[in-house]
Amino acid sequence: MASYQGDSVRVNQSRWFALAIALAVGVGNGCGGSEPPAPGIVIALDAEPQSLDPRLGLDANASRVADLLHISLTRSAPSGERIGELAGEWRLEDPTTLVLTLRDDFRFADGTFVTAEDVRATYEAIRDPAMGSPRRIGLDAVAAVEARDHYTLAFRLHRPFPPVLEATGLPVLPAAEARAPGVPTGAGPYRLAAVASRERIVLEPNPYWPGTRASGPLTLRVVPDPVMRVLELRRGSIHLLQETFEPEILSALAREPGLRVRRSPGSSVAYLAVSHRDPRLADRRVRQAIALALDRPGLTRFALGDAGRPATGLLPPEHWAYAPLPPPRHDPARARRLLDRAGRPDPDGAGPLPRFRIVLKTSSQPARRRFGEAVQAALAEVGIAVDVRTYEWGVLFADVRNGNFEMAALAWVGITEPDHYFLTLHSTMVPPAGYNRGSYRSAVMDRLVTRARYAPTPAERRRWYARVQRRAARDLPVIPLWWEDRVVVHDAALHGFEPAPGGELRSLAGAELR
Amino acid sequence: MSTRRRLLLVLPTLAGLIVLVFSFLHLVPGDPVEIMLGEGAAPADLDAMRATLGLDRPPPEQFVHFVAGLLRGDLGQSIAFRAPVSHLIASRYPATLELGGAALLLAVVFAVPLGVLAATHRGGAIDVAARALGLLGICLPTLWLGPVLVLVFSMQLGWLPISGRGGLAHLVLPAVSLAAGMMGILVRLTRASVLAVLHEGYVLAARARGAPPWLVTWRHIVRTALLPIVTVVGLQAGALLAGAVVTETIFAWPGVGRLLVQAIGARDYPLVQGCVLAIGVTYVAINLATDVLLARLDARLRDAA
Repeated sequence: MASYQGDSVRVNQSRWFALAIALAVGVGNGCGGSEPPAPGIVIALDAEPQSLDPRLGLDANASRVADLLHISLTRSAPSGERIGELAGEWRLEDPTTLVLTLRDDFRFADGTFVTAEDVRATYEAIRDPAMGSPRRIGLDAVAAVEARDHYTLAFRLHRPFPPVLEATGLPVLPAAEARAPGVPTGAGPYRLAAVASRERIVLEPNPYWPGTRASGPLTLRVVPDPVMRVLELRRGSIHLLQETFEPEILSALAREPGLRVRRSPGSSVAYLAVSHRDPRLADRRVRQAIALALDRPGLTRFALGDAGRPATGLLPPEHWAYAPLPPPRHDPARARRLLDRAGRPDPDGAGPLPRFRIVLKTSSQPARRRFGEAVQAALAEVGIAVDVRTYEWGVLFADVRNGNFEMAALAWVGITEPDHYFLTLHSTMVPPAGYNRGSYRSAVMDRLVTRARYAPTPAERRRWYARVQRRAARDLPVIPLWWEDRVVVHDAALHGFEPAPGGELRSLAGAELR
Repeated sequence: MSTRRRLLLVLPTLAGLIVLVFSFLHLVPGDPVEIMLGEGAAPADLDAMRATLGLDRPPPEQFVHFVAGLLRGDLGQSIAFRAPVSHLIASRYPATLELGGAALLLAVVFAVPLGVLAATHRGGAIDVAARALGLLGICLPTLWLGPVLVLVFSMQLGWLPISGRGGLAHLVLPAVSLAAGMMGILVRLTRASVLAVLHEGYVLAARARGAPPWLVTWRHIVRTALLPIVTVVGLQAGALLAGAVVTETIFAWPGVGRLLVQAIGARDYPLVQGCVLAIGVTYVAINLATDVLLARLDARLRDAA
């Protein structure tokens, strides 16, 4: 088992003297070159993955690295549907038993075949509270996992639960390592080659990978500063960058001849969370007025340039359960009328006094701050004064979880399973039980998301989710803002990489530098 | 003050630091266990994890537990990285020492001779240039200077790597960025200190005896002017550690400063405490070393001790 302890590098005092001498005679001549070329494709990460153990690491970078090192029973397709990876096929044996037949050609990086026993041991380890795995969250519906033979697996459920397929996306580990500490062996397209000083993770092709084998090593470099990441890309010392770019920076990068800018639909949605505990915002007419006051296409362009689309709901149009809805309207006059009807008249007409004052909390990122100011200006047009307050992410997150906000600019990242509607809108899902951060309560919505959750067939689920989305568009429990595109900028010499909606990097295994 | 008394004073300083860090950390909003287990974690799982990590105990009890661990040499377990805090810090500390040491050396090697030259050529071109450089060094923030140095030396000239830790070439830009502020202070201080003794009687006497100018400057002037410079170098060395937090983030330098930033974001209490303690101990050690050095340099201080 590889270890994720950084190599401690001996401090060589002679370096300090050498540095002084080098600077004294001129940095150019003294240092002469630049860093040694990193092997293979090099990509930049904005932060160090908190763990290379896929049972424990849940942050975006840990998940991306895990996806390169490990396989799962199923993966998410761009449409949000589950497609088989280790699982060749699956069926419901009865309403509470999901049976999966596994492929027999996957092998761990040590050459041993991946079997149903490995999957069972992995799931049981993750389900064990003593493991403290954050991935346990999605396994509430699972009562037991059974290995019927080498390549047949059964999930026994507490009760019928169609969204259970979402739980089949966990990384599969060797049975012998399922409960062992450290970085376990994977069966993904790459295996861990080296971790240097915690800033550089080097992967090499898994020789037993049954698909198209990676052409060479893959290096993941941690570069926390966004300006430095862009400069590294322009200089060619990294080959791929995937993040939310400032529109101006993206335009500049698009003009670079050696770079390619790729945009594709993403699975993230930005929205305004509103507190339904606040009597003003609990009034649907006020929420509708806020939505009408916002020029969402304009806000989207302001925030993302052309790397986003105004959202009508949480699910993007590419999602299998998406229901087409009319585009968001911008109608300040109607917004003013709605506010009047809601008993929130403008006390002095066009004068300086607002109808009411509201606090918008957002993170301290510059782009978020600018967005908050744009919302402030838009709502001032209809007589709502907005105080924009920015917070460090941990503080904002704590406030949102505790319901300590009136309005907050937030985003959902990587929505694949539409059961997300149940977790965010059902009245029992107020934190800490779920994600209903605004304490939205609606008997109608409760019934709709419950029916959608337990509908037995995909067609029925799609039908119920269409009703959920129409209801949400009318009731506005949250105000959707935009669907953010997945933007990747890479070296023009990199061929074969295809961006994924959730930001997964798996297609790097089939990419090469030419 | 004797070295023993100085050492004894270190203990209450560190104790105060530990109390302050622990208190402030527990006042900051944010739950590390919710961040660790994710938003949808079951309340029972959150409670179980809090109990495992000892976060369900009252803060005073947590503090006693932390101090007891500290006395055993155990800094605890990182909540975010799920690894011993001491291992995490040990893996990053050499990088911070390397960067801080290089910046310190750079600042002293450039600033002290420049300050001396500025004073001995008062009003001349060297003096004007040195004062301007000193002012720039003090005024330019690392957040601005770092990227500008990268634009010039990495992007335009292609001489140096942009970021990361590797060979000597990787050290140059972060060290210059970090050293700039200290250089500015030292140039101005050295100039002022040298000017203060330039016309002292013993300097004039040395000149009258026919001693060569370089000998007068370095033996009689600089040696006397060195005392305030050493004092400020000691204090500024601590500031370098604080500045390393920004520099390490800009230049992707895998040191304790960057680890501290990550730990704060994750509300990783044990790791924040460990990082601050490591930086604090280094700061105190540098100041102690400065005191000892001053006592060696200045007979009056030695006699007082």
